[in-house]
Amino acid sequence: MRVLVADDSRVMRQIVIRTLRQAGYDWWEISEVADGAAALEHVKTEQPDFVLSDWNMPEMTGIDMLRRMRAEGIETPLGFVTSEGSTEMREQADAAGALFLIAKPFTAEIFRDTIDPFLA
Amino acid sequence: MSMDIDLAAFAGTDPIYVITEEVFTAMIDGEEGYLRHWDGPDPVFVDPMHAWVDVNGTTSGRVLLTTERGTADKLARALLQMTPDEPVSPEDFVDALGEVANVVGGNVKSLVPEPGVLTLPQVTQDRPPTLPDALIYELALDWRGSALVISLWKLP
Repeated sequence: MRVLVADDSRVMRQIVIRTLRQAGYDWWEISEVADGAAALEHVKTEQPDFVLSDWNMPEMTGIDMLRRMRAEGIETPLGFVTSEGSTEMREQADAAGALFLIAKPFTAEIFRDTIDPFLA
Repeated sequence: MSMDIDLAAFAGTDPIYVITEEVFTAMIDGEEGYLRHWDGPDPVFVDPMHAWVDVNGTTSGRVLLTTERGTADKLARALLQMTPDEPVSPEDFVDALGEVANVVGGNVKSLVPEPGVLTLPQVTQDRPPTLPDALIYELALDWRGSALVISLWKLP
């Protein structure tokens, strides 16, 4: 499975990838990008199976990137991993077509519990 | 945003402490027990580093993390799971300290009614300007024997 991790923080991308490994997804082939515009481009050219994206990023936010994907007919599954988990943001994420929103800080257990149901 | 946080809703616990402890447990230490309230006189920083995020809305606020440079260096190493003598690049140092402020700030934002937009984190040696009477809340913490301070500020 080819997965894209989008976050403007290299440190956070490293923590997300480390936590994915700890959660048992060590078989995933993971690519990284640092903003929403780069993520949109990557989704179009590389067609990953799944996207894990931060929300607040330079160039293009995660939610704008998801809306652009859906507006252009790209149905790649996407989940947010973000420092905010307000009800308003969860509603926006749902409305735009995100699978889930994981609020930082997260654990391997939270990743497993949230992601596993979508892999069945 | 309104920076009014209803502390009564947290049943006598300090929500800022709870948030910060969760962040350190999950992202930095991997287990509980390394972060506690600072015991003693207010910490004084000789070579401080500041990391913060702002929440811009109808009223704006700032979540500021202040610590000694050496402690910030240890935080970066812990986040990146580096060995004690492995050098941290300036980019990773700024990135790591900013992410701690970002995650704490994002969770603090979730506590307040009518939150605005969270800015990207900033990290500087110079303390960002705040008005003296704009301090809403301050919490001094002890992480593995070193001091760090989380403060919330109203912005003009």
